[in-house]
Amino acid sequence: MSAQPAPVAETGYPWPIETARLDNGLRVVVSEDRTAPVVAVNLWYDVGSRHEPAGQTGFAHLFEHLMFEGSQNVAKTEHMRYVQGAGGSLNATTNPDRTNYFETLPAEHLELALWLEADRMGGLVPALTQETLDNQREVVKNERRQRYDNVPYGDAWLRMLELLYPAGHPYHHATIGSMEDLNAAGLETFQAFHAKYYAPNNAVLTVAGDVTPVEVFALAEKYFGAIETVANIPAAPSGHLPGPATSPVSETVTGTVPAPRVYLAHRTHPFGTAGYDAITVLATVLGSGRGSRLYQRLADGARIAQPDYIGSYGVDLAHAPAPLIVTATAKDGVDIATLTEGVAEVVASMATEPVTEAELERAKALLTTAWWRQMSTVAGRADTLSRYATQFGDPASAAYRLPQWQSVTSEDIADAARTLNPESRVTLTYLPEGTEA
Amino acid sequence: MSLVATRPETGEARPYAFPEIRRASVAGGEIVAAHMPGHLLASASLLLDAGASRETAGREGTAGVLAKCLEEGTTTRDSAAYALALEGLGAELSTSVDWDSFRVGLSVPVGVLSRAVALMAEAARAPRLDPADVERVRDDEATALRMDWAQPGPRADAALRADLFGAGERYGRPLNGDPASTAAVTVEDVTTFHESWLKRPGVLLVAGDLDRLDLEELGAAAFAGSGGDPLPVEGPLGVPIAGARRLLLVDRPGSVQSTLRLGHRAPERAHPDYVPITLAATVLGGAFTSRLNHLIREVKGYTYGIRADFAMTRRFGRFGVSSSVQTAVTAPALTDTIGEIARTRLDGVTEEELSVARTWRAGSLSVDMQTPGSIAGALATLVIHGLPDDYYPTLRKRLLETTAEEVSAAAAQHLHPDALTLVVEGDAALIRDELAAAKLGEIITSEV
Repeated sequence: MSAQPAPVAETGYPWPIETARLDNGLRVVVSEDRTAPVVAVNLWYDVGSRHEPAGQTGFAHLFEHLMFEGSQNVAKTEHMRYVQGAGGSLNATTNPDRTNYFETLPAEHLELALWLEADRMGGLVPALTQETLDNQREVVKNERRQRYDNVPYGDAWLRMLELLYPAGHPYHHATIGSMEDLNAAGLETFQAFHAKYYAPNNAVLTVAGDVTPVEVFALAEKYFGAIETVANIPAAPSGHLPGPATSPVSETVTGTVPAPRVYLAHRTHPFGTAGYDAITVLATVLGSGRGSRLYQRLADGARIAQPDYIGSYGVDLAHAPAPLIVTATAKDGVDIATLTEGVAEVVASMATEPVTEAELERAKALLTTAWWRQMSTVAGRADTLSRYATQFGDPASAAYRLPQWQSVTSEDIADAARTLNPESRVTLTYLPEGTEA
Repeated sequence: MSLVATRPETGEARPYAFPEIRRASVAGGEIVAAHMPGHLLASASLLLDAGASRETAGREGTAGVLAKCLEEGTTTRDSAAYALALEGLGAELSTSVDWDSFRVGLSVPVGVLSRAVALMAEAARAPRLDPADVERVRDDEATALRMDWAQPGPRADAALRADLFGAGERYGRPLNGDPASTAAVTVEDVTTFHESWLKRPGVLLVAGDLDRLDLEELGAAAFAGSGGDPLPVEGPLGVPIAGARRLLLVDRPGSVQSTLRLGHRAPERAHPDYVPITLAATVLGGAFTSRLNHLIREVKGYTYGIRADFAMTRRFGRFGVSSSVQTAVTAPALTDTIGEIARTRLDGVTEEELSVARTWRAGSLSVDMQTPGSIAGALATLVIHGLPDDYYPTLRKRLLETTAEEVSAAAAQHLHPDALTLVVEGDAALIRDELAAAKLGEIITSEV
């Protein structure tokens, strides 16, 4: 019996999209939806940790923290207070590619959000003090301790990046940065960072929700129109790589972890390419859900892997071949060699055993639900539109991603799988103290 | 031209509305549904009165093992076939166990919800529960808990809970059990738990475009083969308050941060002070600009974040503060935290702080409840606590109208800085002397 597949979507974005560009270069995207009385405001700045030179790792992210500490017309602590005091929620994230800032508020507070975002885009530097920098440096160092240094396997991502990308490559270092570089961060560097990258012509502003495009365009002009264009924004170092890695790399970490774990990782294709769409569907067939090959064969079948800690996923980076990561953790009494061999065999099977129709439909159905879940909030929609505007020049191109996943064939997956050969693989292994490699 | 210097005025607010609620009795069970026209996803959840409090002493974790077993095959298909059928619809089961309920739910494109609900019910009502599978899942769950307990946090949480509610009481043991109690769960524990609690009809929660859904059909699938009466709700446990502060030290050698868990007992969810209590906690440690986050993160830089809240269930509540701070500042972070709790109890809240807390909590009702999944969660709150259909609009109104006097009175009545249990999980060798010198309370080495 085969499950009837969910209907194929013709578009992944059935809401209206309107765009405008201010004279200073700021791109404005609006997607009206009157369903709920809320608006999402989302800004993508085209600057991430890939722009950081040696010795300044972690600066893009530390800078993101400084953006909440007041600006020309907004006193310290007021940014958060105004947004939460308006009933809104807010946050920001930094990754290798970009930095985004976002808030969702009851619609009557849209103008507040635009005023706050404009003030910190155009007027951060006068408000930036040594005291604020010193404080947020300590906050970020505690973020690093909490997320990476004080948890078992917490530094896996940091290690994998160094193994996947050569020294000097913009993805070689992790966004959180090193303690040494964070300690060395000086105020002038951050003032210069803002002047260089936080420009209207280096950003996309998206508003989604209970508002008309005409209103948003007028408000964008009112609040952002005075901010000056920045000429000659420096590009990040090139992320170009000649192809997949040509020799395997392995690293073994012995430490205070509760069980042996392995990560297999490959550089694949940049997010947004047909090759990466195939990798996305492949990762879902291989390692997403209980019906995936990894789960069925290693957690269920051979029972060598812990069911809660097995899976595969792509990391959606757009400026260089993005990573595919496959991971499994050993069940009690299973040694690391057996586990690693088992995972490698399942990865190899993606090239040698054709993906069945049922496997393909399962993966596409899961991806379809995941897509609509992302689209189910105005914040999710706004972030998606900002991404496609920033990375591909057109927010409307977001509509193609879901149909493109749905058009991936089993041949496409087999072709993609053939590039995941052991010669180009990164293997990162964790062993509990006292175990033999 | 320059930046606009003054903060803009607020526009005209559209009236708040919670989605229209429809209730139906179908096939021996109750459906509570919320109409969300135009939504492409729909969510359904089977809410069962089978929370962790129904577990046997020493076998804490039984409900969690059962939750995992639901997907190990049903009486009509094996686990692989079940996974393929469910995931082929784009659905994944989410199961959760809290003190008051056991939930099985999913979100899918609205057109396939009825098929997904039928599969969800098949797992919940008629799991295979093959003894060999149950034992394997039990072992996997014990291992997964051991993995979890290797991270900072779970041991500190367990130490706090045992101290507040008594290590011999179910409410004094971890919600999801610990590695040892989960390892002790037997096949019979799991089958008995299923037989006793998961075969009662419970309540089906539905959120989505009801114009495209047939509640009769959903109810028929969800309640097929179920039976039995609703269970009586037992009374609240009371609010015993300790005579003095104490500090439980949980050793985690090599830790670069100290994990802090502070707490004391508090009233249950139905307490009439629920709204002012919630607002007091928001001012103290809920909002980003809260007193605790401002002092401990934004002024001192001791942490990435700190929060305080009142967790309230049908039978009990507890006030709690949680954070992770750099090892070297463990004692001053604790001293400052206790100081802010004491100040809030003594001086209450200011109108300026409260105005942020009020509008933030009220606004969250719109901002955080956009998706069918979040609305289904809101429906669960109505059912568990017996709240009326107009609860959310009423709550919003109360949040906006509660005065500083009421919130300050709630802080004075329900915060007990001198009765706190302070749990510190960190590198004991590095922090013990400093903690002793700070004289925060008797130091007890916890063997969690």
